[in-house]
Amino acid sequence: MSVKIKGTSGTFQIRWIPKYTFLERLGHWVHAAAYIPLAITGFMLFAPWFEPLTQGSAGQTYRFLHRIFSIALGIMPIVYAVLQPRRLWMHLRENFRFTREDIGWLKAAIPYYILGRHVEMPPQPRFNTGERLNAVTIIIGTVLFGVTGLLMWFGRGYIPTWMYRLAVIIHDLTAIVTFAMFIVHFFLAVVHPLMWQSLVSMRYGVVSESYAREHHAMWYYGEKRAREMWEKHKAEKEEQQPAEQER
Amino acid sequence: MTDRYAMYIDTSKCMACRGCQVACKQWNDLQGYVPGVRETVNTGTYENPLRLDPQTWTRIKFREYDDGERFQWLFLKEGCMHCAEAACVDVCPTRALKHGPHGITTYERDLCNGCGYCSQFCPFHVPQLEVINRLTGEAKNSKCTFCQDRTTNGLNPACVKTCPAGALDWGDRNAILDKAKARVELLKTEWGFPKANIYGETQLGGLGRIYVLTAPPSAYDLPEKPSYPVSATLWQKILQPVGGVVLTVTTLGAFVVYLASRRHIEMEKVE
Repeated sequence: MSVKIKGTSGTFQIRWIPKYTFLERLGHWVHAAAYIPLAITGFMLFAPWFEPLTQGSAGQTYRFLHRIFSIALGIMPIVYAVLQPRRLWMHLRENFRFTREDIGWLKAAIPYYILGRHVEMPPQPRFNTGERLNAVTIIIGTVLFGVTGLLMWFGRGYIPTWMYRLAVIIHDLTAIVTFAMFIVHFFLAVVHPLMWQSLVSMRYGVVSESYAREHHAMWYYGEKRAREMWEKHKAEKEEQQPAEQER
Repeated sequence: MTDRYAMYIDTSKCMACRGCQVACKQWNDLQGYVPGVRETVNTGTYENPLRLDPQTWTRIKFREYDDGERFQWLFLKEGCMHCAEAACVDVCPTRALKHGPHGITTYERDLCNGCGYCSQFCPFHVPQLEVINRLTGEAKNSKCTFCQDRTTNGLNPACVKTCPAGALDWGDRNAILDKAKARVELLKTEWGFPKANIYGETQLGGLGRIYVLTAPPSAYDLPEKPSYPVSATLWQKILQPVGGVVLTVTTLGAFVVYLASRRHIEMEKVE
């Protein structure tokens, strides 16, 4: 445990280690600040649930705002790619890489997030399975949003109608999938009591050493060593199993 | 449905004087010739303008048709079909387009926010989007309303009123259909148009325009079997409810997991 209680004074000493760079955090918050208004203005046109808000000049204003925020959403990754292309490439590689540990993580995630049982979680790299699923959804979703959005914005009247209709359908599907992902992401990152470090890390860029060790062992120890420790841990657990059953 | 009205359009009587185009612009206050903005250009055809546009809700389409036996110069009055199953009404998010009295697909310009879905989902490509600014997306739809202000007050649409050849008529849809059927019979038996047919009786739940054609619909560039776009069904009937369910279930699920985790997780043991 990284939390040391010194003497009787009871002060905590937490070793913070950096997880996100400044640009990563900025990118995250620009994306969030653009995505949420985009979702609100977008769902107005998607379904008649908000009908009075979409009518006339009000609707025209929301459609204009949708375009403004879409520029922020689209420009941000491009700026990032220009400033730190190698790091963006690293992000893409690490986020699109899924290993055998991910199945174990998904199985262990439900008892972990509901009951707080952490022992069964296989080691994870800098981004765990859930974070990578979220990242993959957002990356693919943003590309689809961009392509279909630009088609609808500048292509209407010039492209054949079947293409426009397809673009609308893909745009809507992407919106549903990414917004469902957004709800899950918001819940786990902001609401869930176990994940209190996530907001800290997205604000200050650091996580505690114990958190890194526990949740991102492959990143903390390195992949090989983390796997060795995990195998050892599983073997130990199997030895303990008969003893538990006797109890 | 007895309260549904329809427009009778007899292409065998139409002489392409285009009085209906003028009357439409006059009654609906649409731009005709505006120096420097809308000018008449000689394109080598009597068609003018060449297609429907935001300021032209109806126009006569000229087509040449030769089936080997005889040559026909066909005149077709184009415009909104006022379908019973109107895709534009279903995709419109503002209800600027809706089913109005007499089965008219009405259009309320003030409610339109210019999204342009109607212009892209109409099987006949009728609604014309007036793009005011492509960058900001400012736009307004426009299309034929069957002169709703006239027809709901017992008058005929402006184009019907002006037609000197008697090619146009307006009235109860069943009566119009009977008239069209009688006319087609006459054309077939006495006038020598064996291919005469009615267009609009069954298409898309029945159109608000009943055409008497003297040649197959394809000769007029009319879709033989216009269909309600599959994408509109997919979007309105499947994606919308599914999206609503998915998002509601996700939110509720997160809430339930939150409550359960509050019960079970002992935060004292978590760092």
